[in-house]
Formats: sequence, C-alpha cells, structure tokens
Amino acid sequence: MEVTLAFVIGGLYAAGIYLMMRRSIVKLIIGLALLGHAANLLIFTIGRLVRGAPPIIDHGKTHLIGQFADPVPEALILTAIVIGFGVSAFAIVLIWRSHETVGTDDLDEMRSTDSFD
Amino acid sequence: MLLAVVSGFAAALFAPFIHRRLPRYSGWLFATLPAGLFVYFVSFSGRIAEAEPPRFAYTWLGSLGIDLTFHVDGLSLLFALLIAAIGALVIVYSGSYLAGHAEQGIFFSHMLAFMASMLGLVLADNAIVLFIFWELTSLSSYFLIGFDHRRAGARHAALQALLVTGLGGLALLAGLILMGSVFGTLEISQWMLTGDAIRFHVLYLPIVLLIAGAAFTKSAQIPFHFWLPNAMEAPAPVSTYLHSATMVKAGIYLLARLNPVLGDTVMWSALVTTFGAATMVTGAYLALVHVDLKRILAYTTISALGMMTMLLGIGTPIAIQACVVFLLAHALYKGALFLVAGAIDHATGVRDATRLGGLFGQMPVVAIAGLVAALSSAGVPPHLGFVGKELVYQALSEHLLNAILLGAMLLTSISFVAVAGVVGYRPFFEGMRDVAREPHPPGLSLCLGPALLAALGLIIGVAPGLVEHWLVAPAASAIGFQPVAVELALWHGFHYNLLLTLFAFATGMFVYSRWDGFRAVCTSLDASASFGPARGYDLLLTATSAAARATTRILQSGHLHFYLLTIVVTAIALIGGSLLTQHLPLGVSRWSDVRIHEFVLAVLVLAATVLVVRARKLITAVVSLGVVGYGVALFFLFFSAPDLAMTQFAIESLSVLLLVLVLFRLPEIERYSRTSERVRDAVPALIFGGLMTILVLTVTALSREARLAPFFAEHSYPDAKGMNVVNVILVDFRGLDTMGEITVLSIAAIGVFSLLKLFLKGKRESEGNP
Amino acid sequence: MEQVMSTINLSAIYPEIILTCFSLLILLMQSFSTPRFKEYYGYVSLVGVLAALAFVVMEPSSFFAQTVVYSFNDMWVVDNYARFFKLIFLLGTGLTILISMKYLEDEAMQYGEYFALILFATIGMMIMASAGELITLFLGLELMSLSLYVLAGYTRVRMVSNEAALKYFILGSFATGFLLYGIALIYGSTGTTSIRAVAASVGKYGLYSPGLVMGMAMLVVAFGFKAALVPFHMWTPDVYEGAPAPITAFMSAGPKAAAFAAFARVFMEGLPALQMEWTWLIWIMAALTMTIGNVIALVQDNIKRMLAYSSIAHAGYVLVAFLAAGELGISSVLYYLLTYTFMNIGAFAIITALSGRGEPRVFVRDYQGLGFQHPFAAVAMSLFLFSLAGIPPTGGFMGKFYIFSAAVKEGYIGLAVIGVVNSVVSVYYYLRVTVAMYMEEPSSVREAEAAAPIFSPALVIAIFISAYGVLSLGLFPSSYVAIVKQSFLALQ
Repeated sequence: MEVTLAFVIGGLYAAGIYLMMRRSIVKLIIGLALLGHAANLLIFTIGRLVRGAPPIIDHGKTHLIGQFADPVPEALILTAIVIGFGVSAFAIVLIWRSHETVGTDDLDEMRSTDSFD
Repeated sequence: MLLAVVSGFAAALFAPFIHRRLPRYSGWLFATLPAGLFVYFVSFSGRIAEAEPPRFAYTWLGSLGIDLTFHVDGLSLLFALLIAAIGALVIVYSGSYLAGHAEQGIFFSHMLAFMASMLGLVLADNAIVLFIFWELTSLSSYFLIGFDHRRAGARHAALQALLVTGLGGLALLAGLILMGSVFGTLEISQWMLTGDAIRFHVLYLPIVLLIAGAAFTKSAQIPFHFWLPNAMEAPAPVSTYLHSATMVKAGIYLLARLNPVLGDTVMWSALVTTFGAATMVTGAYLALVHVDLKRILAYTTISALGMMTMLLGIGTPIAIQACVVFLLAHALYKGALFLVAGAIDHATGVRDATRLGGLFGQMPVVAIAGLVAALSSAGVPPHLGFVGKELVYQALSEHLLNAILLGAMLLTSISFVAVAGVVGYRPFFEGMRDVAREPHPPGLSLCLGPALLAALGLIIGVAPGLVEHWLVAPAASAIGFQPVAVELALWHGFHYNLLLTLFAFATGMFVYSRWDGFRAVCTSLDASASFGPARGYDLLLTATSAAARATTRILQSGHLHFYLLTIVVTAIALIGGSLLTQHLPLGVSRWSDVRIHEFVLAVLVLAATVLVVRARKLITAVVSLGVVGYGVALFFLFFSAPDLAMTQFAIESLSVLLLVLVLFRLPEIERYSRTSERVRDAVPALIFGGLMTILVLTVTALSREARLAPFFAEHSYPDAKGMNVVNVILVDFRGLDTMGEITVLSIAAIGVFSLLKLFLKGKRESEGNP
Repeated sequence: MEQVMSTINLSAIYPEIILTCFSLLILLMQSFSTPRFKEYYGYVSLVGVLAALAFVVMEPSSFFAQTVVYSFNDMWVVDNYARFFKLIFLLGTGLTILISMKYLEDEAMQYGEYFALILFATIGMMIMASAGELITLFLGLELMSLSLYVLAGYTRVRMVSNEAALKYFILGSFATGFLLYGIALIYGSTGTTSIRAVAASVGKYGLYSPGLVMGMAMLVVAFGFKAALVPFHMWTPDVYEGAPAPITAFMSAGPKAAAFAAFARVFMEGLPALQMEWTWLIWIMAALTMTIGNVIALVQDNIKRMLAYSSIAHAGYVLVAFLAAGELGISSVLYYLLTYTFMNIGAFAIITALSGRGEPRVFVRDYQGLGFQHPFAAVAMSLFLFSLAGIPPTGGFMGKFYIFSAAVKEGYIGLAVIGVVNSVVSVYYYLRVTVAMYMEEPSSVREAEAAAPIFSPALVIAIFISAYGVLSLGLFPSSYVAIVKQSFLALQ
C-alpha cells in the first residue's frame, strides 16, 4: 500500500518544485502548497501505513492493542498542517504586498541586486 | 619585561594628548622612553654572555599553549638595542622634522606603537606571540607609510606594503602552527633543543617554504622587493626606522632565529642563499638607476638585506659572524644616511640627486655625518663597514660556489661605493644646486641622529673590541646555537680579500664619475618596469577583482529560480550520490496489496496535480489544488488517521477561500518562460520527484523497531486519561510543542498584520507627498 | 556530570517563559496604551532579555558542575552547551535592541511588534539550542524563521526590502521543508525523533537503512540554508541589504549561531556514527563557503552587502572547526560564534548610526574622512573590522587561531591552508573601509548632504559592550576558553 503513495508523493514533489521555479509568483504559491501536501504525505507514509486501525483506545481498555497506526507521525503532521497554513497565509500577504509595490508578478523583474552589468 | 614591551603601547595611547600639551618638546620627551629601554637592555648584556639567557613567562592562554613568554639571548639583545637606540634618535629627529604638522601627535603615537611591536617581535619566545607582534609591525607600518594620507601615492604604497607583508604574515602563522604541531609546543626555545625532529619530518618542506615566504616578504627579497622603494613615500624618520634599521630586518631576524631549527640542510641553504644573492645583485644594480636619494638608499637596503639573507643561508660560523657585524654596521650607516637624506629634503625640498650640490656650507654637521656614513657603507677603512665587508669576503671565499658568490659580492661592493659617492659626497661637496628654495640650516635635533650614528660606525670600526664580546659573540652564538669565538680586527694582515676591496673601490669610483652616462644606458635598457614583480602585483589585484565580479554575476544573478535550482540540484546530488552507494530494497512486491479505491484516488490526485501545473486560468489551478488537498485528506482517512483528515479538510477549505480572495486581486497567470527554460526546470523537478519515490519505497520496505509509539500506546490512558492517542500526544506529552505551534501561528498573524500596516502607512505617505 | 531528570520541570524553561511574557506584554502595551508609551517598548524588551539572561546564568556553580537538566520527556535539554548558546543569543538580542531604539524612532516605525518579533525569534533560537527532539527543533526553527521573515521586510515602501523579504521567505520555507523531510526519514528509519534515542538506535543497528543517510543529507540542506553555507547562501546578501540595519545585525549573529547549535547537536550527539558519510561533504562545503564568500565580498561597495558576504565566509571558518570536531574543534566553534556576535553587531551598530533615514549612506564612499570627522566612530569601526579580518590583538584573531589550530590538530591541514589564504583575501576588503575612513578625503557631495551620525546613548552603550567583548576576547582569552571548554563537555 505504500507503493501507491510513493508515486503520489513523487508526483507532488515534481509538480511542486517545477512550479516553484516559475517566474510568476502566483504559481510559486501554488507550488509551495503542493510541496506542503507532499511533505505531509511523506511523513505519513514513512511512518508506515495501517488500514482501519486509528490510534484510539477502545472503550474499556487502558492501552492500544494489536496493530494500530503510529500516532507520532500523525501528531507531527497535525503540527505541520497548522504551521503550513500560517506560512501560506503569510505568503499570500507578502506576495500581494510585493505585487503592489513592484507592480509585476514576474520574478525576473525583481532583481535589484548585485548589478555590475 | 612585560612592562618594557607594553610601555610603548601605553605611551602610544597617550602620545597625542601629551603632544597637544607640549608640542615643542614632545620629541625629546618621547625619546626618553626608548632611551630608558636602551639602558634597561644594556643591563642584560652581562648576564647573557655568561649564563643561560633569561626567560620571562606570563600566563595568558596556557590551555592553547600560548603564554606571553619572552627571552633575551644575544640575537634578541642585539635587535632590542638597535630598536631602542635608533628609536630614541629617530623620535628626537622627527620632533623637528615634522614640527608644526597637524598630526604630529598621532605620528608619535604610531611610532611608539611600532617600536613596542618591534621589541615584542624580537623578544618573544612563544611562536604565536611572535606572530602577533609581527602582524602589529605590519599594521603600524601601514599607518606610518600612509601618514601623508592626502597623497594617493602614499595610500597606494601603504596598502601595497601591508598586503605584501600581511601575506607573508599569514604564511608565518601557517608555518609556525605547523612547526608547533611537529614539536608539540609553541615555545621557540624548546624547539632549539630538538631541531633534528623537524629536518626529517614530512612537513619540513612546506614549513621551510612558508617561513621563507614570510621572511622574504618582510625583508623585501626578490620577488617581493617592490614594496620597499614604494614605501619611501613615508616621511624620512619612518624610512630610517622601519625601512632600513628595524622592520625590514625582522625577516632576517626570523631566519636567524629559526636557523638552529630549520637550517643546516641542503634545501634551506640552497633556497636562502640563492634568493639572498639574487636580491643582493638586483638591489645593487637598481640603486644605480635611480636619482631620488631615498629610492637609491632603498635599493641599497634591499641589496644589503639580500647579503644578510645570503650569509644566513651559507650558515657557517664565519658567515654568521659576518652577518651579525654587517647587520650592525648597516643599521648604523644606513640609519645615518636616511636621516641625512631627510635633513636635505627638509632643508631644500629636493631629493633628486642630480639637482643637489654644494650644501656643505649650509649644513656642515650633516655633511660630515653623511660623508662618514657613506664611507662606512662603501667599506672604507677604518669604518665598521670595512670590518663587515672583510668578513663577508672571508665567509664567501670558504663557500663551495665561491667564484659565483664572490663575483656577485664584488659587483655589489662596486655599486655601494658608487652610491656612497652619490649620496654622501655629491650633494655636499660637488657642483651647484638647482633648488628653488634657499636652504635653511638644520637644528640640533636634526643633526644629532645622523652625527651620532655615523660616529658610532667610525668608533666601533676603529676599536671593534668594544662590541665583540658582549654583543657580536652572543648574537652569533644564538644564531648558530653553539658558542662562537669572535675576533674582530680592522687589520687582518695582507690578504687577497684586500685586493678585492681595492678593486671594488677603484671601479666604484669610476662608476661614480660616469654615473650620469651609466644611468642613461641603464634606463634605455630597462624594460623590467613593464613586467616586473610590481606589475605582477597590479595584475594580480586586477585579475582578482575581475574574477570576483564574474563570480558575483554568475552566482548572485538575483534570479530566484536560479537560487532554487541550485538548492534542488545540490539536494539531488546529495541524495542521489548516497543512494548510488546503498543497497536499495524497493519492495515492489507490495503492489499486490493495493486496493482499488486507493489506486483510483492516487490517479485522481496525480491528474489534479498535472492540471495544477498545466492550468492556464487561475481559477482552474486553485480548484485543482483544492482537489489535491481533499485527496490527501482522503488518504489520511483511508489509512487510520481521522484527526488528520478532519484537520486537512478544514484547513484546505480555508486555504482555498483565502487564495481565491487574494488571488482575485492578482493578475491572470501569464506564461513568461520559454520551452527550453521549462524543460530545464522540469528535468530536475522530475528527478527529485523520482528520488523521493524511491526513497519512500526503500525506507518503508525495511522493518524497524518502533520506539516512541509503544510508549504512547502504553501510557496515554493511564497517565493522561485520554483515549485518542494523537490528541493526548498533542495536548499532553508534547504540550510544549503544541504551545510552540500556536506561537508560530500567532507570529504569522502578527506578521500579516504588521506587513499590511507598514505597507499601507508607507503608501499613504508616498501618496501624500509625491 | 550531574543529571536532573524529571518528566516536567518548568524551571528548565524559565528564560523562555520570561521572554514570551515580555513579548506578550509589549503587544498588550501597544494595543491598550497611549502612543506616547511607544518609546518604552525597547526598554521593556531589554528588561525581558536581562531577566532571561539572569535565569540562564543564574547558577554559575551548576555550570562547572556540568549539571544537565532534562525535562518534558527528554524533549528539552538544558546543558552547558545550550546555556552557552542562549548566552550568545540573548547577548545578540540585547545589543540589537539597543541599536534599534533610535533607529525606529527616526524611521517612524516604533511599533511594539518589532520588539515582540525579535523576542519571539530569540525564543525560537533558544528552543533550537535546547531541543532534545527533532520535532521540537523543527518548531524552534519555524518560530525563528517566521519572525525573521517578517522582520526582514520590516520597512515601508522600499523596493529592495520587499523583494529581499519575498525571496528570503520563499527560499526559507522551501529549505525548512527539507528539515521536515529529514526528520521524517530519520523517524522512518529509527522509529524515534529523540536525538539521543536516534544515536542509541544507530549505535545498536548500524546504518541498516538508506533513509538515515538521506535524512542526514536533507538536514544538511536545511541547516546549510539557515547558516548560509555555500551553495545555500544566495539569499544572504539580498536580505542583509534589504533588511533594516539593526535586523541585519541581528540575523547575522543569532540565527546563524542557532543553526550551528542545532547542527552540532544533531550531528555530534545524534548521528556520530555517520561521520564518515558527512566528513567529505562538510569539507567541500567549508572550502566553498570560505572562498566564495570572501571572493564576492571583494567587489562590494555597499557595506551591508559586503558584511553579508563576509558573514558567509565566517560561517565557513566555523564549519572548518565544526569538521575538526573534538574538544578543540567544538569549543572553538563556540568561541568564534561569541566573538562574531560582538564584532559583527558592533560593526552594524556603526552602520546604523551612519546610515541616515531610509539608509541611503551605506556605501564605502560614505565613510571617507570619517576618521577626522568622527574619531570615536572611526576607531570603533576599525576595531570591529580588524577583528573581522582576524588581525591581532582582537578576538577575531584569537578565534581564527583557535579554529585553525583545531583543524591542524585534527589533520585538516588543507582546509586550514584554504582558511588562512581566505583570511588574507578578507583583509583586503575590510581594510578598504579603514582606508576610506582614515586616508581619503570626504567627497564634496557627501559633505553637502551628510547629516550628523546619530549616536544615541543606547547605541553608544551597544558599541562599548561590543568593543569590550572584542578586546577582552583578544587580550584575555583564557577565562573565555575555560567556559567554552566546559560548554563543549556537555556534548560528550
């Protein structure tokens, strides 16, 4: 079952990185979002997959018994999702501000850096 | 001892203030410090001739093997005395040489700091302490050469001197650290005891090259000699002190100090002798080509330094003795000559030897001092210079390659005689001057230095016994690291060396009389200026700067995607590189385990991903992105992570909403890039994606011991009374992390808020006053 | 080595709690008080930093007793190593606040969240130094990074600043992602995220999983980016130039040190078994980082940019020591980072004073003749530049000596030679500024437009503290060396 997800992760990474390298800032944000999904799935899959056994203790029991999904990556992903949301909210504002200031969404127009030529 | 070294720095700190109070007598006042130090160091003379050299240790950084240790043997003493004595004379001299100069106080400050650094350099026993003082001399000399900072020439010369000697300084540091690692200690006096350990060490060659590099740059040996004549931009007292008597001899000091450790090998003597001899001849030749008094003296100084280097390379007891005597003689006569040149410059404003003449009437004392010093430099008896030259001839005639070295020495002597005429005779006694200004007679403080130094050269020459036992012999013994018996005499009986001296004298006189013609011929032949080492230095600077610009343009293009591409490609190289060396269990047999609905979902997500990439309309892209997000949530649901699925649904909806709200204000997606650029980006992106797939496959194919999960499975309910383990982890076991997570979110909120606030405020302002 | 173990020990995070409270206090002050209090935000945050500092160094006896406090199920470690880094961070933060106060007033940006964000970033760094857990480490890194993204763009309409912040953010979040991937891989291979447990697992089973090596590679990318190592350095100059001068000072010192703190803890404590794998990698990165940083710095006319590139080179020197490892290596890392904090923030304090409203005067030519017009500023600036160049008797020299002797001792002679050659190159560009200050006449244009530099009392105090640090680290190094050696022992 990890096999399918391995390919999904690969596809998400490829698409995310490709979009990050576009010149349009809008695509860049979308790329960042795709990478976020890829990362979450990566953590999830690498923590091993289990079908139909959420890490919830049954009533009357005191601990998890038998096969259960690893709770640690799940906790980590929850953290990552929330942080990811904060980051993308910030990203959107930053990009909007840049767009208003610079007046383009073409990143190649933004290079007032080392200028020797 | 520490006080003796540090006092100069302390005085330097207060010099400008004292000078402001007592501008007229400050020179005399400051000179009392070196004079006192001179007396202090003389008091050591008795002790070192007899017993072990005294050693002084002050704890500083013992754990790294660096303590402030100083020791006074014959070599250190010789240098310390020269530094203190000439220092005192030069400071008195500059009191009137620079009288009325706005920055005279700062000048004294630099001079005193330099003197203290120089003392520290020759007294230090710890290699790193030696290095520190070595760098301090470079640094203070930088300020002294550039003292006349309003002229671009002075600034350029100062920087050049600093770069060349600074380069040497780092070679020194590297060499000393390597030596320290070979010996296991940084105390030079300890090295002496086990010198053999290093001569057969693997690192011997690099160490010798590094140390020689340091010494050659400092002492202006070929091919690093070019900075010294340029440093003549400095005021005369600086040239006297730094560029003839003391600092440039630091390289000689280093070679002499390390001679017992590094010397006595074919490698060492071939390297040092060759460079020394080549420098000697080149300097002697170039001295005849120039007309500026100070430049002429600078080239003879280079030549003399070459001679000393050569003698140290030869390394026989007689050569070492010759080196010590010549060093003393040179310091005395060259110091005097530089001061004389300065006095002439001060009085007439001219340094061009062809335009000077007949100054004897105006400055008799200076003229006589100049003449006496010049005779010493020409090697005329009964001056100390003569004693020194005789010893040099003697040392060379014992050498294997005596014919070549004696020939070189003879040429040098001829040049020295001619130069002595140009510098010490011609300006005072011959011809008429061509000077705009009427020269004014120099005062006492301008005469004292040259007169005293020249007189000392004569007195010691007549009675060499005055210095042989307490000064020359201990110094020679320290360099050779064995007792050397020194018998100095003015008259050695009739020897064929005397013939050489006579021949050199006669030829030198001839060259002097034909000086103008000789110079014309040389100048017409001189093409070296266009590809000499100085030109190399300029080229090196230009090339470095061009290379730096090119690197900047390539690496810092300002293109974000280039930066990203670099990171991605590096990551691919790192991951792919280590993947290649690993055994990769892909575990593809797990295909059989795939359920149909999972497969369909995977295809759906991938299709939506492709759509996101290919989308031409913003809204298509956002919607497809939403599909990917919900797909991911479904995966979470399929594989036992209901909490994640819920969060993902919620956050995804929120994100899409936000994106739509803001993106609405942004322009439509435009295609900026060409197909080739897209291919360039797509290839690494696909490789990276592929690598991640392989990675996930291999990692999950292996079983592993779960370490954290069982703990939480075990303790969630008993310890935290929670049934949902994920929730328990978040709010209990890892409450701290969750707290951090909330903080991150709030920072994002603060960030959004303050960016908008600043932006709107700025916008209002710029609209208010366009 | 005394160890204090307990499930939850709040006293272990007192400094962090204090800082959090103060940053919240500032935010509340901003929301509920009248604007005339805005001058006090800086002082309030300064008090917070001092209080946190007091708690970090509260028990000097526990320092030499090597007391280690574990808390929150090993997620949190307070050992000497962490204490020393917290000292560096708080020092950097305190100095930054001192520099900022007058600057903000002049730029009319006296907002509470500026200081709150600085404090939050500091908390993030402190978490990175104390994290015994990869996830906690990740959170610390995010906390620090996010605050820095905001601060980097903390100006009004200024093109360079905007652009720089945007690029920094995009590259930064891309790189932080790698940390997450690395953590995932390490967890996938060892089943744990606790640094000590990872070490135990690797020690027990060896390198049986390729995921471990890959995970390490990903961590290198993430830390490399935060510490601005080549080839992950490209954001630095743009961001350093674009950010407000005090923030540039802040970013060049603390966050870099934090990245190294985490880097060293993860690699030395967690993955020592992988040493063979990463040695060559770090070797190449160190050589490239030193060389490229210095070479590009040669041609910069903008001092902020120049110091940005030079800070890349300095990270390279630190990396050399990092590679040398061992007692000498790691303690020299600590020594150098402390020195660097003093000298770099000191230099930026002067830059801030001279830059003028909107920072138009940050070029080498603007420093011409400074030695005659403002001897105090020029002397201080020369001191900091000499120290950066590694000229004795400053702390910079001692630090470099420390590093290179560690490298030689551990047999990295080639790297030490590259480092020494690089130091020569760096002397050249640092000296250009000194030359301009002392040996060149102010250009007439500058004379006309130059406003007097602003030396507020706070700024002068910052300059004095930095100068004292640089000099005492150079002249009286032995007590500092004793402290860094104690701090290193914690990693053993």
